[in-house]
Amino acid sequence: MPTKDQIIKTLKDRFGSAVIGSESPKPERLFVDIKSGKVRDISNELVAMGGRYLVSVGYDSIADNGALGMIHTFAFDRDSLYIGIRTSVPADNPVMDSITPDIPNAGWSEREYADLLGMKFTGHPKPKRLILADDWPEGIYPLRKEVPWNLMPPAAEDVAYQLDECPEGCSIIPVGPYHPTLHEPAHFAVYVDGETIKGSDYRGFMTHRGIEKLCQTQLTYNEVPFVAERICGICGSVHATSYAQAVESAADITISRRAEYIRTIMLEIERIHSHLLWLGLAGHLIGFDTVFMQSWRIREPIMWLGERMTGNRKTYGMIVIGGVRRDITPEIKDDILNVIQKVEEELLVVQKAIVGDTAIHRRTKGVGYVSTQDVVKWSLVGPVARARGVDIDVRRDHPYAAYDEMKFDVPVFNSNDVWATVLVRILEVFEAIKIIRQCLDKMPNDGPVLTELAAPIEPMRHGIAAVEAPRGEVVHYVITGKENSPERWRVRAPTYPNLQGVPLMLLNNQLADVPIIIGSIDPCFSCTDRMEVVDIRTGGVKVLAQDELETLSRQIK
Amino acid sequence: MWLTSKIKQVLMVAKPGVVTLKYPFVPRPAPENFRGQPYWDHHKCIGCGGCASHCPARTILVRDLCQELRVMVYDGSRCTYCGRCADVCPEKAITMTDRYELATGDKNDINETMELFMATCQRCGRCYDHETTNAIDKMTRIGYKYDNLEMRAVLPVSSEQFDMKLYEKTEKFKRPEKMGE
Amino acid sequence: MDILIVVANIVIFLACAPFFEGIVRKLTAKVHSRQGPPLIQPYLDLLKLLGKESITAGNWAFKLAPMMALASIITAIAFIPLGYTTNYLTQYGDIISVVYLLTLGGVSVLLGALSSKNTYAMVGASREMITMIMVEPVLAMTFILGAVKSKGLAIDAAVFSTLNNGYGWSYVLMLVVFLMALQAFVAKQPFDIAEAEVEILEGPFIEYSGPNFAMFKYYLMLKQMFYASLFVAVFIPFLATGSYLLNVLIQLVEILVVFVLIALTASTNPRLRIDQAMKYYAVLIVMSLAAVGLTAYGI
Repeated sequence: MPTKDQIIKTLKDRFGSAVIGSESPKPERLFVDIKSGKVRDISNELVAMGGRYLVSVGYDSIADNGALGMIHTFAFDRDSLYIGIRTSVPADNPVMDSITPDIPNAGWSEREYADLLGMKFTGHPKPKRLILADDWPEGIYPLRKEVPWNLMPPAAEDVAYQLDECPEGCSIIPVGPYHPTLHEPAHFAVYVDGETIKGSDYRGFMTHRGIEKLCQTQLTYNEVPFVAERICGICGSVHATSYAQAVESAADITISRRAEYIRTIMLEIERIHSHLLWLGLAGHLIGFDTVFMQSWRIREPIMWLGERMTGNRKTYGMIVIGGVRRDITPEIKDDILNVIQKVEEELLVVQKAIVGDTAIHRRTKGVGYVSTQDVVKWSLVGPVARARGVDIDVRRDHPYAAYDEMKFDVPVFNSNDVWATVLVRILEVFEAIKIIRQCLDKMPNDGPVLTELAAPIEPMRHGIAAVEAPRGEVVHYVITGKENSPERWRVRAPTYPNLQGVPLMLLNNQLADVPIIIGSIDPCFSCTDRMEVVDIRTGGVKVLAQDELETLSRQIK
Repeated sequence: MWLTSKIKQVLMVAKPGVVTLKYPFVPRPAPENFRGQPYWDHHKCIGCGGCASHCPARTILVRDLCQELRVMVYDGSRCTYCGRCADVCPEKAITMTDRYELATGDKNDINETMELFMATCQRCGRCYDHETTNAIDKMTRIGYKYDNLEMRAVLPVSSEQFDMKLYEKTEKFKRPEKMGE
Repeated sequence: MDILIVVANIVIFLACAPFFEGIVRKLTAKVHSRQGPPLIQPYLDLLKLLGKESITAGNWAFKLAPMMALASIITAIAFIPLGYTTNYLTQYGDIISVVYLLTLGGVSVLLGALSSKNTYAMVGASREMITMIMVEPVLAMTFILGAVKSKGLAIDAAVFSTLNNGYGWSYVLMLVVFLMALQAFVAKQPFDIAEAEVEILEGPFIEYSGPNFAMFKYYLMLKQMFYASLFVAVFIPFLATGSYLLNVLIQLVEILVVFVLIALTASTNPRLRIDQAMKYYAVLIVMSLAAVGLTAYGI
């Protein structure tokens, strides 16, 4: 596996003057500045060296140098290394090569910046609108600084998203925008031949709330964690931790070890509750409501525990930059141990009942098959990848918080289907319980849980942090700014890459399997939809979507 | 095999019995340290505006009516109950109570308004900044406050300029005469 | 007097069907560790639906379908004797007409679904159709079994053949098949495929609301009770006494037991996919044919 120096050397040898410079503020971070012409080749080279594509970050730096910046980030999992290749294109002609033909997962990131920053990507296979509402006026790019955060263009009702061409002889089944499977608005158009799925198209991002733009322009550093927490109703702490770590990494802040342990405990408690929630939903999606209710029964004490620990069932509000807000007292420690003990016992019973149930096997085994190669190619993450034979876990590969001292297993299965996802998640709950016990056991008592900053954070420093959320890997990228506020904050939730893999999973399955396949990635549309456009005239979009749905539902080919 | 797993499942669920609570009929008190509805103690409040400056949801508004009179409004309808205001208050005038049944037909039921008589200093906000030692928590908005209490809106930190002519330049922006169809 | 028993038949069904639905819901809730709705909730649901605005999403067939479904099931109920005694109408129909009436109910559901032109309703209708085609033979075979035994197509002879002729191995086989098909008859898990909530949002009924939906709901409840009572009448005739009232009571208790079974099975099974269900139904059809075959040889 290549080291940091080797990577720079290889890039310099191969691409010479295209590599302008590099910067490594921390041992496990590397930022390489390159010329925009070679972006595709360099990305391919990084992937060939073993890099895994994470996300792209576009930003507006017109005020500084009249250019739009673009950062493609990659992870080298075996070396605990994150690489960002930074490039920029002039704002008056923002054209660069698309990396999507080789790295399909970059498709959404690039479409996003085509929408929001007005960049153009040559060679993009599907240059359709992704983020913005269909009636958003063309030529206004909301992430550019000249556009105010609360801009509300008047609505237009006669524009509709054009779905992909329906294959010959198929009919379209609309799943969404409102559908019991989805829990949140998103539109899957499923092309079925009889009951067999032959293709699908996705139109989501119906609930962008423009969080990134809002936080960049209106909020200060320490207010953002609370907004970040509300990106997702299930993995709130994950986003807050990831954001806090990104800022800490950019500003080079060291927090106390005890705070890191408490963060670890919060993340693992969240994992337990999230996996139990998913297990229940999976049961519901295959019509097995007893699993649903029983796993939620087991989950409830965890919620109450959260309430006692942090003051709230779910949005814990524990994490701020510099540490955590509340300490874990000895009483709370006993409380945690009791609760997780009970959860462990009860989950063992449920696990036995589920694992031996042939009826559940019938609905999940062999469903949603994706080959391991495809998972790697599409950069899928989390339990979805681990159930398909890809052994990645941020907690082990890029240790953060207190995970470097934890001993735990990463369950990986090779049956590449939904059943393996179920198993991965159940086993991860037991691992999470194990981690919490170790944390409580080893937790040091070294100073305050909240480290104070002596001086304001310096502007224009880059930080990237990833956290293993229950559904996969959350990546936050922060560029620090002036006035105690981030200049650019990019969130990539695990659903963002995983959702792009859903068409792959749906292919050639039965219509009845759509709910459980979409459900198996535990899609979090609010996470995915966060985004920069403040209020895209929700009313207008609703009319459109309904219209679209109606047209579709009458359209039986 | 199939049958035994079914019987096992029925037995499994028999053990815990009914666990749902008769909640609205039997009250469920919130635990200690619960972050419920915040409460302002106007005796303790010095009107520094630290809470307003740190509220992520911007639900705490401040307006100086005149040199001596400062109005602080807490708009409960937008509150996320994060409890940051209670954290940063230098005088501990804000407590997070255990009240959580806040559904109401009238928004004013959960709002709180305080009119504070300010002695001399009301502009620098230093009484808050004096207390806090954390650089990241320093107040960002010092000086004269004029939040829009009627609209329940905070004046934006920065007022961006947006050229409305941009609209005219954009293409493909037709409005239909009739909806639907 | 004769006609009174027919009326009693219908009234008992109309009055009890929502109650049994309530039992199923309560029991399901207990399996879910929930409190569950009160037993009278289905009555309240029906009342509430009846009081709602009637929204139509199709042509005249859309409005006709629920009435037809309800009428067909009530007619079928009128023919089927409750309390182990024949009634006035029984002699005027035969098993073919009962099977026909039950199928008419299914056809009305299809009619309503297809006239609404909803995509989900279409998918639901196609699944309903498959279920009907695959499960109806099991019902027919149950009747034919009795008919073969008593060498006639009369309803009473078919339904009371165990009562009159005693148990044989063919009946045991048929009982097993009927039990296995019961969940499909009453459209509960694992065979609520046509209505699958999370996949196709109640399928055929998606466009229905208000009084029209109330009629469909009532139809479904009556249908469930009908199949349960049929099972009791055909296969558990041991507790029959001389008194009509007592018989009815005993039968209702037995129906209750059947519903408990239905509820437990439904709450411990995931929904099957239509292709998996079809394989299962095929096995049932073969087994029921075998049962009829056995009867023909007098076993």
